[in-house]
Amino acid sequence: MTNEQLLTEIREANMTYLMLAQNLIRQDKPEALFRLGMSEDSANLIGALSPAQIMKIASANMLLCRFRVDDDMVWNLLTNHSVNKVDNDATTKLHASILMAGRYAETM
Amino acid sequence: MATKSVLNDSKQVERAVSLIRLGARLQVLESETDLSYERLLRLYKEVAGRSPSKGQLPFSTEWFLTWQPNIHASLFQNTYEYLTKVSALDDIDAIMKAYRLYMEQIAACGVEPLLSVTRAWRLVKFIDNNMLSMTKCSKCGGHFVSEAYENSRHFECGLCTPPARAGKGSTAGGILLH
Repeated sequence: MTNEQLLTEIREANMTYLMLAQNLIRQDKPEALFRLGMSEDSANLIGALSPAQIMKIASANMLLCRFRVDDDMVWNLLTNHSVNKVDNDATTKLHASILMAGRYAETM
Repeated sequence: MATKSVLNDSKQVERAVSLIRLGARLQVLESETDLSYERLLRLYKEVAGRSPSKGQLPFSTEWFLTWQPNIHASLFQNTYEYLTKVSALDDIDAIMKAYRLYMEQIAACGVEPLLSVTRAWRLVKFIDNNMLSMTKCSKCGGHFVSEAYENSRHFECGLCTPPARAGKGSTAGGILLH
């Protein structure tokens, strides 16, 4: 993949992310905060962006959405790589959901 | 209510309708809206197409501490607390939103929902009144529904350390370990 292509892909990912986030925020803010895992301030900002602003912000060489799972425990559960007593897919996914739903500290 | 506001009244009706659609029992509606029993009863029949179930609500805190219900309850309560921490919602609205999100997450895991909206509402009340609490698991760091004064230093959740007989049942849609 050439550098040019990479930048196009990043721009498209940013655009998709921002548009989805905006839709979620405009539809139901509290729910969007949960789904997106962002602070209310950021959500207000994104909710108020105009299409032209979204286009402008999306064209960068950096991705705007960040990885939500930054802890080994959740990552292991999601990928099922841990040596655990539980090795049922649905159950480890459920466990990961509980852990992720409990992480609101970062959004404050 | 000092003055009767039409706007407030319509909000109350809307809230009651959402609760009925989620399958809430009449007692929940009576407690969370200012509408009269007669109006709620009529509304219930109109929305649900049948008479509300009679009898008392499930009362015990024990149910939330048994293995499978505990996992469901913990998922709901974590979602509920997330919503109330990040936004200023009325308790009942947060309960409804959290309940919908809980149903979504459960469906994504391919498990049958065990928690009814009435139970979810009770759970929030139990925790508010310190009859149950949320304790951090010493292994995974997640928060789980537990006895009110659980010792958090040695607390391990039902998913890190499942009880001996857990997950052996063959009921479809249950939580399995293997």
